[in-house]
Formats: sequence, structure tokens, C-alpha cells
Amino acid sequence: MATIAVPLGAQGEQQEADALRRPALSDYLRWSVDHKIIGVQYGVSAFLFFMIGGAMAMLIRLELWTPALDVMVSGAAYNSLFTIHGTIMIFLFIIPMWAAFGNFVVPLQLGAKDMAFPWLNAFAFWLIPPAAVIVLLGYFVSPAEAGWTSYPPLSTLFSGDGQTLWALGAHLLGISSIMGSINFIVTIFNMRPPEMTLWRMPLLCWAVLATSIIAVMATPFLAGALTLLLLDRVAGTTFFDAAGGGDVLLWQNIFWFYSHPAVYIMVLPGMGVLSEVLSVHSRKPVFGYRMVGLSSMGIAFVGFTVWAHHMFTSLQPELRIPFMITTMIIAVPTGIKMFSWLGTIWGGKIRFTSAMLFALGFLSLFVIGGISGVMLAALPFDIHVHDTYFVVSHFHFVLFGGSVFAVYAALYHWFPKVTGRMMNERLGQIHFLFTYFGFLFTFFPMHVVGMLGMPRRVAVYVEAFQPWNQLISFSAFVLGFSSFIVIYNVIKSYYHGPIAGANPWRALTLEWQTTSPPPATNFADDPIPFEDPYGYGTEASGAYLDAVDEAFSGAQPARSGSH
Amino acid sequence: MDNTRSNIPAISPAAVVVTAVFLLVSVIGINWFTTFVPVVLPEQASAESKSVDELFYILMIIGGVVFFMIQGMLLISVIAFRARPGDHSDGPTYHGNPLLEVIWTVIPAMVVVFLAVVSYNIWTQNSEPKASVNMVEGQSISINVTGARYAWTHQYVTERFDEAGNQIVINSGPDLHTFIGQNVDLTLQTQDVIHSYWAPAMRVKQDLLPGDPAQGGRPTQLRFTPVRVEGRAYPAEYPIVCAELCGDGHGRMRGSVIVYEDENQFLDLFYEPAIHAILNPPADPVLRGEMEIQNYICNSCHILDSLDWTATTGPSLNGIAERAGERVPGQSAEEYIATSIWNSGAFRVPGYDQQMAAFGPDVVEAANVMTPEQLYSIVAYLCTQGEGSDCDMDNASTAIPDAIQTVFGYEVDITFGMDGDAGAESADAEAEAGEDSA
Repeated sequence: MATIAVPLGAQGEQQEADALRRPALSDYLRWSVDHKIIGVQYGVSAFLFFMIGGAMAMLIRLELWTPALDVMVSGAAYNSLFTIHGTIMIFLFIIPMWAAFGNFVVPLQLGAKDMAFPWLNAFAFWLIPPAAVIVLLGYFVSPAEAGWTSYPPLSTLFSGDGQTLWALGAHLLGISSIMGSINFIVTIFNMRPPEMTLWRMPLLCWAVLATSIIAVMATPFLAGALTLLLLDRVAGTTFFDAAGGGDVLLWQNIFWFYSHPAVYIMVLPGMGVLSEVLSVHSRKPVFGYRMVGLSSMGIAFVGFTVWAHHMFTSLQPELRIPFMITTMIIAVPTGIKMFSWLGTIWGGKIRFTSAMLFALGFLSLFVIGGISGVMLAALPFDIHVHDTYFVVSHFHFVLFGGSVFAVYAALYHWFPKVTGRMMNERLGQIHFLFTYFGFLFTFFPMHVVGMLGMPRRVAVYVEAFQPWNQLISFSAFVLGFSSFIVIYNVIKSYYHGPIAGANPWRALTLEWQTTSPPPATNFADDPIPFEDPYGYGTEASGAYLDAVDEAFSGAQPARSGSH
Repeated sequence: MDNTRSNIPAISPAAVVVTAVFLLVSVIGINWFTTFVPVVLPEQASAESKSVDELFYILMIIGGVVFFMIQGMLLISVIAFRARPGDHSDGPTYHGNPLLEVIWTVIPAMVVVFLAVVSYNIWTQNSEPKASVNMVEGQSISINVTGARYAWTHQYVTERFDEAGNQIVINSGPDLHTFIGQNVDLTLQTQDVIHSYWAPAMRVKQDLLPGDPAQGGRPTQLRFTPVRVEGRAYPAEYPIVCAELCGDGHGRMRGSVIVYEDENQFLDLFYEPAIHAILNPPADPVLRGEMEIQNYICNSCHILDSLDWTATTGPSLNGIAERAGERVPGQSAEEYIATSIWNSGAFRVPGYDQQMAAFGPDVVEAANVMTPEQLYSIVAYLCTQGEGSDCDMDNASTAIPDAIQTVFGYEVDITFGMDGDAGAESADAEAEAGEDSA
């Protein structure tokens, strides 16, 4: 494997630290309107929830080691466990985690001094801690046990008060998401430098734009659904109670009208990250830039027309066909991205940095999630595997194999910019190997148990499935262990990592054309974007990067021998 | 943006070799997979399962090609296009190829349209209502499935009548009985939350949706036709599971599809004996009660070892006869048990916070209708559950009817209306409800 030439300062560590001019750790615990502080606040808190949700996943897998109910005290306790696992992973980890990278990177990529509405930005973040407290409190008072999808009447007539708190918490998180998204849209449309047309904008910005448009359009539907749920629970209304003239499918329709597009809220920013990382680390322009950007918009648009495939076993039979067709079609823009990424690395000069490894891991795993997605779209086959472990496998392939791998790629890629120090590449490679194989052997066998007849969300199962489940659980523990490697790496690198310099990856996007970490106002002077954000391999781009190295070499040692 | 063709990366001989090896592996892999299919899918026990599995083959072959193509290109890339040590230069400035982009937009689009058409055909073929369904002895009967937390109940509304002219209804509990070639058409109805009726070997699944009981609920349909599985001994048994989260006991909400070899075997082993038992109920109230209690959904909440009930939502019924006399001061054991069934809100066993479903002569849910005579026999049966009994079992035929008279004011016909009245009433109510929903 190629090693990365990392510029190392000759100075002592203290001098290095002085040169970094990082915010004090206490700054991260306070109200701040600096998008870079807010980005880290989002990221660290989201990762914390990732660990809590992950610990719950470990408990789930421990329970499923044997066919009998033995770890949890009751089936209901097990139901609460996966309910809170799903809720934390979706609302408190993955969505805020993309807000973290979006916040830190997007204004920098646009050459802006901050987000368009700094105060709103901080407010959106600070809604998360109280919402998290409410959701987690709910877990301790007769916890919600209807799954993160909370289908009534299980979530209305048959659940305790924890369900009310769950809905209130989710409501707050939705508000946070809407405010953050409005901020991104306004920032991206209004705060680009004059030279940067939409078609010269980095693809992460395209992805965040598409994501934000989805979030602004879809999240109000979640709010509506949650409001009706709360009214049914506390005010005696009967929106979802058939005995009072309500309809349980009303919830499913509104909920999935948000929650299917929300799947793209969770994965599109990861696709943006992929475009950045693959291009930079294979030293080659993004193949078919326009189609990659447009396909984000295509996914956002078609994503609003597929929601009822989550209801293939409950929807009126005649309505199932149109949703099958739209669901099939959404594979096309996703395929465009996959092929374009392959075209990007094809013929490049691939550097096997940790960021690149996770990006390649994304490609390798996401294609499996994509194939199983098309299989699930095929209505007759879906009828068989609907609500089984096949589905559990599918959405972990796109949300873990996809989004989480992209989160790790983003972490290794932008950590130097955020902290001014490089992460340990050797540990990163070990982390990748454990995560990739731990993931593969956890989630791939789930396809099989699902097809064989194991429904999802069960604490007890028939003995025939035990060998599969033990393989899955063992691999899950390996996967769980792998996260300690990256935690150690982050902490160690934060204090002792080699000094990164302004542009350790020699990337052309604007976030690298300033010091690491950037000053409070991001750029000393208004930065001039290179004509093409991914124009690697030309003399002009080489000269541009050399000039950047030179400009920042006063503060930080320049990289040598890059040509 | 310059788009010079000269920059197209050359493919090294190593990459060609890797490509060839990979193509070979993919062809072998796809072939191998088709032999692997029986390991990853249950037996094909219905006509539908064969067409669904055909679709699965098609999906696997197309998916396999995509999988091996993309993983192969990835593998070639990481081998052939890795930066050599010390090489800090950039790759070629190659921005794209419109023709290639059109190809990888149009071909996948054509593939998914093809898959949609194939799926549509299989779907319409499988879901189309059959002309003759649930045919038994040349007549179409209704098979109703009730889902309640956490048990399945199957009811056969037969075309047979008792002496009083009432339609006979067979309750086969968690098991569906059918035979090879019968076009099964189930009417599904839930009593509480959403359940999902899934028979993996049949490849069919349908949710049960709560509806307004006053309007006959919200019945949904499930259709399949069992076929012969080579090497299977008949009657053959296949699992039914609940696929939609329904609460604490979701994982143990199970049942079986019992497929008989032909209609004769179905009639001999299931249908006729069941009808015979209904037409000739035991005169002994205890035996009668043991039969009656299994026609209700009591097993979805209670433990009772004598009948292998395992649910824990409600209090255990093991040894109920030992405790019944001491539960409520001033109430005899008979009165207490009768009250607990028809008016379950009157006394709540400590530690259990869920209200039991309503049973009685006038309740709306057809499956919960219970005549005074049925109550009498069920109380008699429960009075035998325990080491000793607080009930006056020597005089059960007067003590229990008296208790029912005292608490609810109903006269009990202790002969069970051997002319058929008692059983008939509930059958009537069920038949009516069935008509409403149809």
C-alpha cells in the first residue's frame, strides 16, 4: 500500500500546537454561532449517540444469540430496545452527523465566512440535546415499543407514555432538521464567490443542496404525522383509531411520505462525500460531473414518489403497481452515480488513504444494498421478504455500508482540516479491515435468514436459524469492537497527530485553501476558486496547488516533491 | 473543460488478465448460486412460490451480473490504478464520456423496466381472484382468520347445518388446514393491532388492518394454492408467522399450514372429525368447556399448561380453581370465574394492567360472542384447573348456573339445548357478522 507523504514540522510539539490556533475544548461546550464550532458540536454529539445506539445493537445481537428470550426480561423490553436503537441511529446519529460535515465543510467550500444564518444554525443544533433527553427519558418511563416506525394502533392505544415522549422528541428533531436545511439552501444559493457558478460547485454542496430540499419538503409531513399521533395519544382524537372513524393507513402514508425521502436525507450527503474523496485520492476529475450533480436532484425528485413500497403488504392491491415502477426507476440515478464513481477512479492514481479505503468500501457495499433494493422493489418477491431480516439487511447495507462508511471516509478526509493534525493511517487501515469484514459478515447472512422465514423485530425464533444468528452476532461484536479503534485514533491524533498543513491531500476545493484549522473568518482574503473543483492533472491545477502551498508555508511547512 | 481523448487511460495487461479471471469467476459464481437457491429459500409449497422464485432467479442473475461487474471493476481499479510508491503525480484529466453516460443511464433503465414488466405479470397472475375458491365437497366455504395479540385463529364457515338449521363453524385455532390444489382465499381480520399473516413456504403475506367493528371491521384477502412438494410426507406442515410488530409476544405469534394430500385426506383427518365433534358435543360440562374455551382467543394472553398456552399478557390460569374462592370477598369461586370472563373489569389481578377483551352474549366482535351455556361449560372446565378446587364440583350443574343467574341474571340451559340451540346462537352471530363484512 502506498504511504502518504505527510509534511512533518521540525518544531517541537508545543510550537506546533501554538501554530494550530485551535479553539479551546471549552468553546465546544458553549453557545457559538461559528459554523466550524457548530459542525464539531454536531459531529461529536452524533458520534456519542452512534456509540449508545451501537451498544444497544450489541444487546440486540446478544439476545439473538439463542432462539429463546434470555437476555431481556420480556418481549416488550426487547421491542423497546430496537425501537430506541432505530430512533437514535436515524434521528440522533446519521441526520445530525451529516449536518456536522455540511456545517463545517459547505461554507468553506463556498469560500464563505459562515452560514447565511449563524444564529439559526446554533439554535438548530441546540434543539438536539433537549430532544435527545426527551427521547431517552421516554425509554425509562414505560418505553415506546412500536419500533421507530411507530405504527398505530400499537403506538396509540397499546403503548405507554414513553411513546408520547418519543413523538415529542422526534418533533423537536424535525424542527432542528428543517431549520438546518433552510440555512444550507440559502447559503448555497447566495454565498458562492462570483466565479463559482452552480456548475462549478463542489459535489458535496450539490448533495447537501438536494438533501436540504428534501428535508424542507418532507419533514413537515413528519411533523404533521407526529402531531396527529400526539393528539390521538393525549387529546382523545381518533385519527388512527378505526373505532372512531380513523384509519391506520393514514399514519403509514404520511410517515413514509417523510421517511422514504428521509432515507435519501441520510445517504445523499454521503454520496457527496464519495465524489470528493474518490476524486481527490485518485487524483482524477469526477467522471461526468454534471450527471453526478443532477442525479442527486433526480433521486430527490423521484424519492418523493416511492413511499408506498413500504406498504406493499397493507396497501390496496391495485395501488401497489405504480409504486413498484417508481421504486424501480430510482435505481437509475443511483446507478449513474455508481458508474460515474467507478469512471472516476478508473485510470487514476489511487492513494490508499483511510478516507479512500472507506470510500471504496462504500462502493463495494452500497452496490449490494442497491441490488437488494431493486429486488425489494419487485413486488411479488417483496411480498415474501417484506418485514423480514432481508429488509433489515438491505437498509443496513445502504445506511451502514453506505452512510456510515461515508461518515468514516469524511472523518479521515476532513479531520486534518478540522483539527490541523493528521490521523494515524495505519490505525485507519486496521479500523477499515475490522469494519468492512465485521459489517459484511454481520449483515450479508441476514438476507438468507430473512428469505428462509425469520421476520424482523422478534426476540425469539425457531432453532433452525440459530447457526445463522450466531454468525451474525459474532460478526456484530467484531464490528462493535472496530469503533474503539477509530475513537482511539481520533483522540490520539487530536493531540499528537502530525501537523497537517493547509492542504495535505492537495485538493482543489476551497476548504483546503486556508489554514488548518481555518481562522474564525475562514479566509484571510476572499479566496479565488480554481476554475474546476476537480481539474486534477493539468498544469494549471498543479500551479494553483503549488501557489496555495507556498502561500501557507509561512505558518506551516510546505510539502515537497509533489511533482 | 478539455476532453481530450488521448488522455483515456491505457489498460495494462495485468488488468486484462484480472478481468478475464473475474469474468470466469462470475459465470461460475452465478451458476453455483442457482444450485444454492434451495438453501436460501423455503420449500416451494404453493403455485405462487414457483413464480415468485422464478422472479428471484431472474433478479439474482441480473443482480449477479451487476454485482460481479462492479466489484470486478473495483478490484481491477485498486490493483491496476494504484499509485506506485514515490509517484506523486496526478491521473489523467478526463472529465467524462457522454456516450458512456448515455449507455449507463439507458441500459439500467431498460433493465428495470423489464423487471417491472416481469414482476407485474407474476403479480397479476398470483393475486387474481380465482373462480372457485375454498372448495370443499363441491361447495365454496369461507375461511376466516382472526389475529389477536398473540395468536392466530382460523374459522371454517362450512356449508353444513346442524339439526336446527344453523351453519356449522369449525374453529381450528392457530392452524390452517388445506389440501393440494385447493384455491385458498382467506379473509383476514384483526382484533387489536396490525398483524401480518405470512406463510414463508407459500411466499404470501398480507397485513391485517384494524377497522371499525361496528362496520364489520376491515377484512383483507390472502390467496394461494398449495402444490405437491416432492419427497414430503402428507399431511405436511408449514409455518405461519406474524411479520408485523404487534407487541410483547410478536415473536411467538405462530401457527401452521397443514396441507393434506387431497380432498379425501382433508375430509377424513380434519373436516369430518371436526364437524362430528361439533354435532356431538360432550354432555359433561367440563369436557364441553375444554372444547369451548379453545374456540376463543384466551390463549393469546393466558398461560394454561393443560392446553399448552404460553402467553403472559394476562394472569396465569394454572391452578385458578385453587384461588378463585379467595379473590373477592363475598364471591364464590364460580361467581368469581364467571364474572372475570363476562365482566373482566370488575376485578383486576394485581400486577396486570391490561383490560381483557369483552366476552358475552351481546358483544360486537363475532368471535367473542359467548352464550350463557358456553360460559357455564367454560366455568366448569376452569373449576377443574388446580390441585383442589374452591368450586362445588359435586353439584356443578346447579352451583354454576346459580352463580351465572346471581351475577348476570341469565337462565342457563344445562342440557346445552341438545336440540342444538346453544351452539347455534353463536354460529348465527358469526354468520351474520360474516355477511356484514362481505
